[in-house]
Amino acid sequence: MTRKIVSTGRGGAGKSTFVALMSRYLNPPSLLIDLDPDLSLADMLGLDLQKACKRTIVEALYDAVKERQRGGSILTPVEDRFQGLIWADCLYEGKGFDVLTLGTKDLEGCYCFPDHLLRKITSQLSKNYQNVVIDSPAGLEHLNRNIVSEVDDIFVILDPSDKSMTHVKKVKAILKEVGVMYNKFYVLANYMFDEESEKYLKETGETFLGRIDYDKRVEEYNLRGESLRTLPEDSPACRSVRRILEKAGLI
Amino acid sequence: MGKINVVTGRGGTGKSTFTTLFAKYVKAKPLLLIDLDPDGSLAKMLGVDLEKAGKWTVADALFEVIGKGKDTKDVPDLLKRKIEDGTILYKDEKFDLITLGTKLAAGCYCLPDEMIKEMLRNLHKNYEMVIVDSPAGLEHLNRKVTPDINDLFVVLDPSEKSAKHIDRIKFVTKGVNISYNHFYLVGNYRFTDEIEAYLLRSGEKYLGRIAYDPLVREHNLKGESLFKIPEDSLSSASVKRILREAGYVLV
Repeated sequence: MTRKIVSTGRGGAGKSTFVALMSRYLNPPSLLIDLDPDLSLADMLGLDLQKACKRTIVEALYDAVKERQRGGSILTPVEDRFQGLIWADCLYEGKGFDVLTLGTKDLEGCYCFPDHLLRKITSQLSKNYQNVVIDSPAGLEHLNRNIVSEVDDIFVILDPSDKSMTHVKKVKAILKEVGVMYNKFYVLANYMFDEESEKYLKETGETFLGRIDYDKRVEEYNLRGESLRTLPEDSPACRSVRRILEKAGLI
Repeated sequence: MGKINVVTGRGGTGKSTFTTLFAKYVKAKPLLLIDLDPDGSLAKMLGVDLEKAGKWTVADALFEVIGKGKDTKDVPDLLKRKIEDGTILYKDEKFDLITLGTKLAAGCYCLPDEMIKEMLRNLHKNYEMVIVDSPAGLEHLNRKVTPDINDLFVVLDPSEKSAKHIDRIKFVTKGVNISYNHFYLVGNYRFTDEIEAYLLRSGEKYLGRIAYDPLVREHNLKGESLFKIPEDSLSSASVKRILREAGYVLV
């Protein structure tokens, strides 16, 4: 069975860092999906999608729509046409992991349609993988759109602020109302936590799996745009992510 | 005619902190603040308890209509009435406040955002200035809540991703036709001199950095209002400097 994992949280908490590091330890193959229009997961994995001639979902979608407007393949709805495009043009195939990115839209309106297509594609693609990992955009709106309706593990990465505590409550309320089913709901502390603020997390009553430790190199790698997959195995960030995944029974 | 200023940026950079201190120190009366973030925290940072004050968010008003099975075409009317009778509009000494609120139903924030857009079209005339605090990321720009912006402030964190974020903001604002008089960069509390130098070379107008302030961290952890932070605190002093640099008159 494919394990479906979602990493979410407030902005800047470390969602993509967690996903990039997690991809090193999960049983291959994994499909990593970057749902953030302000995408950065590919950068953190050291991938240059443009160079690899891969496009984002939004780019492929525009092309499909434009082609239809030009009169090509009128009989094929955009949605059907689009599925073929995704396989051929959008799916980046790496060693042990593949990547799909949503991309940035420069037309007016929301991401409901691209997200809707992604939901369909994900359910078809996922059976080819051991794990599907979703890296969410900051905030809550993506939850309302219910990309994956049955999740195995949800990780909420928190920064040390009272807002994080409110965030956890809001995440749960939306999941419930929108009808997202999940097995496990975990909270993680990000690198900005200290012992004292960690106490707050224990008071939330949620399953707290630990902290992603501060790691100067993560900051350096991100600043230079280098792959977190090359971070040394014994670095604090790697060690703590491993520990967290072990506790969650993912490795 | 009220000038509309927008604060945006990647998640966790300090948009709401900047907005709060902006509101505190700018000389503008009457002043309207809008929190566009579903994971909204501006009210709390301003020391406002909306629930206690018996106020509604825009999402609450929508729920009132849709949740009770009424037609959505009644929404604009309801909103107008609820603003007039003060249910959605919180009034304080220094500012008025409207918050988007969290939506619990499936789907996007297009409708609530559309409501705020419609509201703003009339409402901004009653104010000398409007400051909009955005959710993390880019999607709100696609929805074009504020087509004509006076000053657009982008609060940045020190990473390669921030540089790309600037490009994406320009890509989206151009694509959906959002105009602005000024595009300003603001560095967040994690900036160093080295990174500042890098931004100065970006060709954009860089206003300075919000100084690291342990008081801000402490207040946020405890969920206390930033509005009462001392005038001579590091964060206050730096935000005042930034606002002066942008040509604002302060109180």
